[in-house]
Amino acid sequence: MAETKTIFRFFTIADFEEEEKWLREQHRAGWKLTNAAVFLYTFERCAPEDVIYRLDYKNGEETEEYFQLFRDYGWEYFDQNAGWLYFRKPAAEAETESDGEIFSDGLSRVEMVQHVVKTRMLPLLVLFLCCVLPNMIRSIEGAIPFANFFSILFGILFVLYCYLITYCGVKLARLKKKYTEQ
Amino acid sequence: MDKRIQRIYVPMTESGFYILFCLQRPQHGYGIGQMVKTMTGGALTISAGTMYGTLSKMEADGLIAFVREEEKRKLYQITPLGEEILDLELQRIERLYQNSRGEIYHG
Repeated sequence: MAETKTIFRFFTIADFEEEEKWLREQHRAGWKLTNAAVFLYTFERCAPEDVIYRLDYKNGEETEEYFQLFRDYGWEYFDQNAGWLYFRKPAAEAETESDGEIFSDGLSRVEMVQHVVKTRMLPLLVLFLCCVLPNMIRSIEGAIPFANFFSILFGILFVLYCYLITYCGVKLARLKKKYTEQ
Repeated sequence: MDKRIQRIYVPMTESGFYILFCLQRPQHGYGIGQMVKTMTGGALTISAGTMYGTLSKMEADGLIAFVREEEKRKLYQITPLGEEILDLELQRIERLYQNSRGEIYHG
């Protein structure tokens, strides 16, 4: 059996470009991704090769026709994780720069970002406003703030959510601006 | 014609124009991509995600329709509505071209 390794790494919904780059570096170093599960990436030992990795966000809307089209374009589909589909193609097979891309205009990239915002960012925001924030306020208003386990938990969640929402919101907006100008 | 459809597609993106133009005959996504590459001498390539997205949208808006399946690939063709849009777009391009040469466009 081939040697494997599992790496714990956190990429937010706004870090897909960084993730693609990181996976390409891993493959160049002789580690090919076999499975991505939320924070855990499993790699298998392989011959070092320059392979382009691309992520598309379809959130379960992918069809057999979709996969066939990507196959026709020379993309190997090998895994999916939380709505994201993972594709790769050896850089040697990409004759031009655009052969190494899954989107050829800014508009389709913007649409992908909008899809992420609508189905990932908004639910996160709703959860924050309807659950985390009210519970946070309640635990502050108590006689002794953060007196019990749950109020501490909501305090931590509150900070985490504030950070995630700000980080992803700002980054997705920046990506959208960049793609619009393409 | 629906004003909304006209607003979305006239003017249309370069990729959109070539896709609609190629679908005057039945073709599948990858086939369109190859045609465009040849027609434009490689100046324009339409990637897989962009191709899929554009085809889905045009089908939903009724500009193109599914005709048949060949080896798991769906073939599409332009509809009368799509032809109307393509004509409008061609007129617009014709006007641009004539004006760019200092001529006056008479429609």
